[in-house]
Amino acid sequence: MRDEFYKTLASPIWWGALVIAAIMPFVLSSYYVHILTLALVYVALASSWNIVGGMAGQISLAHSLFIGIGSMFSAALLLKLGINMWLGLVISAVISGILGAVIAWIDFRFQLGHLSFVLITLAFAEMGSIVVEGWDFLGGASGLLLPKDTGNFLAFQFGGGHGAFWMMLALAAICVLVNVAILNSPLGYYLRTIRDNEKAAQAIGVNILRYKITAMVISAMLASVVGTAYVRYLTFADPYLLISPVITIEIVLFATVGGLGRAYGPALGALLLVPLGEILRGKLGSTLPGLHYFIYGIVVISVILVTPRGLLPLFERLWARWRGPAVAGKP
Amino acid sequence: MAFLEVSNITRRFGGLVALNAVSFDVEKGEILGIIGPNGAGKTTLFGVISGFIPPSAGDVVYDGESIIGVSPDRLVRRGLMRSFQIVQSFADMTALDVVTTAALTRRPMREAIDYAAHALLRVGLGGKEHKTPATLSLQDKKLLELAKCIATDPRCILLDEVMAGLTMAETAAPIAIIEELNKQGVTIVMVEHVMPVIMRLAQRMVVINFGEKIAQGTPDEILKDQRVVDAYFGDHLDA
Ligand SMILES: Nc1ncnc2c1ncn2[C@@H]1O[C@H](COP(=O)(O)OP(=O)(O)O)[C@@H](O)[C@H]1O
Ligand SMILES: [Mg+2]
Repeated sequence: MRDEFYKTLASPIWWGALVIAAIMPFVLSSYYVHILTLALVYVALASSWNIVGGMAGQISLAHSLFIGIGSMFSAALLLKLGINMWLGLVISAVISGILGAVIAWIDFRFQLGHLSFVLITLAFAEMGSIVVEGWDFLGGASGLLLPKDTGNFLAFQFGGGHGAFWMMLALAAICVLVNVAILNSPLGYYLRTIRDNEKAAQAIGVNILRYKITAMVISAMLASVVGTAYVRYLTFADPYLLISPVITIEIVLFATVGGLGRAYGPALGALLLVPLGEILRGKLGSTLPGLHYFIYGIVVISVILVTPRGLLPLFERLWARWRGPAVAGKP
Repeated sequence: MAFLEVSNITRRFGGLVALNAVSFDVEKGEILGIIGPNGAGKTTLFGVISGFIPPSAGDVVYDGESIIGVSPDRLVRRGLMRSFQIVQSFADMTALDVVTTAALTRRPMREAIDYAAHALLRVGLGGKEHKTPATLSLQDKKLLELAKCIATDPRCILLDEVMAGLTMAETAAPIAIIEELNKQGVTIVMVEHVMPVIMRLAQRMVVINFGEKIAQGTPDEILKDQRVVDAYFGDHLDA
């Protein structure tokens, strides 16, 4: 592990930001707390996707499957079998990790060209939603309703509202920290080398299959855990929300707009775009339906045109210019 | 038993026989030069030895064991390293990042970074650690290939035209590095078109033409070999 990781852990900026975020529920109305909680869900999801999509350059469209397992399956385990949701969280994460490994292995074993990973992950996501909708155990197409959140921590309840916000804040912070940790460890170097040039990576000793699987497993497990927390917050496990391709597309979009492969990029993208989308919908959704999508789309397209590598690199360039030319870029 | 034994390697690409039953030995600690006209099969041969290209027939024994079917990254960890004739690019990594990844084959994170910085210094790329490989000059890209090799602590390296495109003055740095590595006991197999360089560095040479080995011997013997003169040097030796 590089020293930069421990510096991050000891950084007052990090802890300061966390503390400020943590007092938000006392300052903001419950509407905005809800929006921030959603934003944190997507910070966590986009950051976990970043490990495989950003760092390793493997555009996975299978993440709705992992989110779906984490949410629908752990909800079903609780409702149908009475299994504690903490245990459900672990079981779902393990299943997601195994599926992630299988997907990465299949992609490696049957290299079908440039788009093969995208297509294979998409196929798995599709299979996932077919299984969910057809299998009554998982609630079928009508979904599952969790018992009311009474704040019983041992039953994976956080009391809704503020409690859910803090839970999501912790989870988002963990996902971002995992990103920082990976980028400062050998795994981060291996993944970036694989993304940039697989053949050259192999020629300097990188075991491509092993690290592609590692990235996918970590990413899938994190996404699954976030899925479990998310469904607890929503209370209603809606397959059309949780295991739909839309959620994956959103994650990919946030990560791309924020800065692919960077520790804080996906978090930045989610923190800006989720509130923007929600507020636009709240303000315009009833008066001019559709307009909020249009404005949202324009914002996203402009960002990508202005700074194809995302907002984080743009902000860094602006910051460097403001600080003067002597400041070198960060890795 | 030699350190590296190439026996009867054949490789076909469809109807084209890129390598036809090529055999030779490399002794531990020597510098073996491989020459041959463009398209002779030299890069394909390196691809086979380094595990990137499966041969159609034949065997390669490295350090006492057959390495056919062993993946390139495992060979690197066993000390068999190659450079690429076409310099490899990395879109989003600095020179230091790339060489650090190479150094991670044998070292933990922090040591690897120091070792990589040292390898870059050693090949003369000090001060260019934070450039991306794409922004380096051709000479520096070739030096970066060498730094990657050094950083993995190889026992045997296959160098594919690391001097091509360099001026005579620019070849001084890679030549010094290769000599130094060899003095430290690293076995070197090098493909090179720059004749004065390979004549000076190689202790033995192998000549390949149209996928077949047509001669082997010391540089002096090779220069006198009529088949080589006919097949390869042709007119410009007469001139
Ligand atoms: N992947 C490939 N597919 C088809 N033909 C190839 C391939 N790689 C090399 N060849 C052919 O094999 C022959 C030897 O190429 P190469 O090994 O690159 O020669 P050299 O390095 O000696 O110039 C050439 O005719 C080349 O076109
Ligand atoms: Mg060649």
